[in-house]
Parts: sequence; C-alpha cells; structure tokens
Amino acid sequence: MILPEFEYKKPKVIKKALQLFQANRGDAVYLSGGTDLVPRIKQRLEKPSIVIDLKNISSLNKIELSRSWLKIGANVTIYELKNHPFVKDNLPALADSLEATACETIQMRGTIGGNVLQNTRCLFYNKSDEWRKAKGYCLKMGGQVCNAVKGAKMCFANYTSDNAPALITLETQVRLSGVDGSRQIPLAAIFSGKSDRPFTLQPGEILTHIFIPANKTRGCYLKIRVRDSIDYPLVGAAASLKNGNGCLAIGGIGAKPLHFDFDETEDGWGERIAREAASHVTPVANTVLSPTYRKKMVYVLVKRIVRKLSGEGC
Amino acid sequence: MKRVKVNFTVNGEKVSVEVKQYETLLETLRERLCLTGVKESCSIGSCGACTVILDGIPVRSCLVLSPEVEGKSITTVEGLEKNGILHPLQQAFMEKGAVQCGFCTSGMILTAKSLLDRQSKPSKDQIIRTISSNICRCTGYKKIIEAVMSAAEKMVAT
Repeated sequence: MILPEFEYKKPKVIKKALQLFQANRGDAVYLSGGTDLVPRIKQRLEKPSIVIDLKNISSLNKIELSRSWLKIGANVTIYELKNHPFVKDNLPALADSLEATACETIQMRGTIGGNVLQNTRCLFYNKSDEWRKAKGYCLKMGGQVCNAVKGAKMCFANYTSDNAPALITLETQVRLSGVDGSRQIPLAAIFSGKSDRPFTLQPGEILTHIFIPANKTRGCYLKIRVRDSIDYPLVGAAASLKNGNGCLAIGGIGAKPLHFDFDETEDGWGERIAREAASHVTPVANTVLSPTYRKKMVYVLVKRIVRKLSGEGC
Repeated sequence: MKRVKVNFTVNGEKVSVEVKQYETLLETLRERLCLTGVKESCSIGSCGACTVILDGIPVRSCLVLSPEVEGKSITTVEGLEKNGILHPLQQAFMEKGAVQCGFCTSGMILTAKSLLDRQSKPSKDQIIRTISSNICRCTGYKKIIEAVMSAAEKMVAT
C-alpha cells in the first residue's frame, strides 16, 4: 500500500516539535514507533500534510527510577520496558500487559507513549478507504451513521491498549507538554469517554513521560484475543493490589478503560467486582466476537484474576 | 514534493539514495535497491513478511519511513550469504523443508536471526514466541521451528 504525500520532519527537542505542529495546525501528526500511525495513514484514516517524528528527542528515550517514581520516557519501547527489572519484580500487571501486547517484533518498535495514545478501533472503521467509501463513512469518519449499531447517534469504537488498563491500576500519571507549558495528570484523565475523539489532550500536546509510583504490587493482566500471537484485546482485564487495596481496570470495550476499586479484606470481594465490572461494560457488535460473549468474558476474566490473586491458580 | 537524500548501510555496503519523504523502507529496498527478498504482504504490520533487521532489531519495513533510517544499518536476506556460503539458518530452512510457498521465508529467517544474535541457545518456547511475530499461511510452523533449532545448534557448535 502506498502512502499519501506528506512532509517528514525529525526535531531533536520538544520545543521544536511543538512549533512544527503549531505551524501546520490541524494537519500534523506525531510519529514514534509508527506501528499504529503508519497503518492509519495507509488506510487514509489520517491525512497529514506533515509527519513529525519524535524518535530523535533523546529526553523521551529513558527509564529512570527514583525513590517515589518509575519515570518512563514516551519513546521507550514495549520490549525495553517489559525487560526492565523494576517492572518485572514489582509491577506484575504491567509486565503481563506488555508481554501480551502485539508480538515481539512490534514490541521492539512500538513505544509505550504510542501504545497509550493509540486511536480507538472498530471492525467497520479500520478498513481501506475504498471499503469505507463503499459502505458509507461512519460517525468517526465525519459521516452521519454508525455502521456497527443501526440508528446509533454515537460512536462505539473500542480503545484497545493492553497497557493503559494495567497502568491505571497502578495509579499512573502522565506528563503532557504543550505550547502553554507542561502539566501532569492521572492517566485516567486523558480519556474523553467519546470513541470518535478518545483523548482530552489539547491539539499538539505531546505525552512526554509516564510516572508509575515505585511501589511493590501484586497483580496480573489477562486478555481475550483471536490469535494469541498478535491481536488487539477484545476484552482486557488488569488488577493491581497494594497493602490490600486494589484496583481493577477493563479495557478493549468502549471509549476508555473502566476502573473499579476494591478492598481485599472485604468478604466476597472477588464475586462483587466481577459482577460490577460485567454490569458496567457495554460491548456492541463491532469486533469479531459477539457482544454477549465479550460481556460474559469480562466476568470470567475478572474471576480468573481473583483466583490468581487469592493464590488459587488461574 | 521535495525528495530527500538518505545515507545508510545495507548488508555492509554504504548507500546514498534519494527518496520521497513519504516512502516506506520496504519500497526503497525493493524498488530503488532491487533487494526483492524483502516481501510486501499485508502492508499494515500484521504479517511480518517485510521484516528486515535495523540496527540489530527486527522491524516491519512496511511501517518504517525511509527518511527515518538515516545513518542506520540494515540487513536483508540478501546479506546473509557470505562468500557463496549460505547462513546456517538458510541452510537449515532448506534441509528441514521449512519453505513451502516461500513468501514468508525471508521475514522468518531475519526474525530468527535477530533472536539467535541476542541469544545463542534459545529454548523451543522462546523460538515459538519470537517466530509468532511472523505469519506463514501455508501453516508450516513445525518445520520452521525445527529449522531454527537446528541452525541454533550448528551455530553454537561452530
């Protein structure tokens, strides 16, 4: 597939990247590993006039561990992060979700920043332009109809990062840099809840770093996919626990990961959160698996996680 | 639109190529450098047929823009043979019958090579995990895995 025409720039500092974006406002995209963006450009889901490559910004390439945070540059690859000793030893939910992301070759190219900021996906959206034109453009493409749910007035595309749910259970924060300076917010706050425009980032804002509290946690991540070798999650469930306080997050369904707090000392906590999670998700017929099955699998995955965390196997 | 000059190393040889800014590495290798061992299949990063090794890391060349590889070093399947002698992986793929239609083969071999470069004695599970980055639609995975194991043994022995 041939790419459409665009200009390619590789700034060495964040300030320059922000300036380039502002100079081409509305028409520029940021590139990192390219495993999400390049297929989107090929399928004409993005039509940039300029692609700004962030890979040469060296301040985004490091992992630093301090007493209170694990600070991860947005350009750090999934593979690099999953092999980091602190992640392996202390953040099992994240170690699992990184391992479950795509396949090894893509893990070596894809970055954590890009993974978190990947666009939402739908069976009727991630298609070639010819396919979409023949079907009629949907709401996410600026059309008037939803091709997945007849008569729907809103978009139901799924946010399919494996790592964002795991990071949310770890109370992760993200640092964003824009023309007006930088700000640090909880990861859960970057989601708009709208599938057609999933993020609350300002135009041109760059996610520069991810901050995970440097605590020892227990946890795990499980996902449902058709091909174990590569696929995006059709349901993903992550949980982390610290001193009896836990957080569960469900991904792969709807515009953003849903998260639920729980207390390990409460009687019947496992059954309660499994039921609560399954009752809150609203899958629709926009993946290769049916919505009924995916809803049931939320309950099943959470119960498997609960058994694992309670030391009863999986 | 203005073309850009990109300098990089392919199979040990320095090259300087004028490319479109929106050209993929896959196109540059195949169309400008005639390295047709790099195969285009899905073109969206799912299949791994276009895998090349970029600074020691296997990448899908359909997802890499050519201007990104300035100053970098690339190995394609054409670069594995040395003085008329095939790489142990190439030899093992032939001996074990790990090639059916052959379209995935160069990607498979390069993905396997990057694993053997990182780890000289991988377990069967590690080989399966790495090789699962690449799709073979003839479904000949068993022989591919056997070939990688056999090549690994030979490379350790020599």
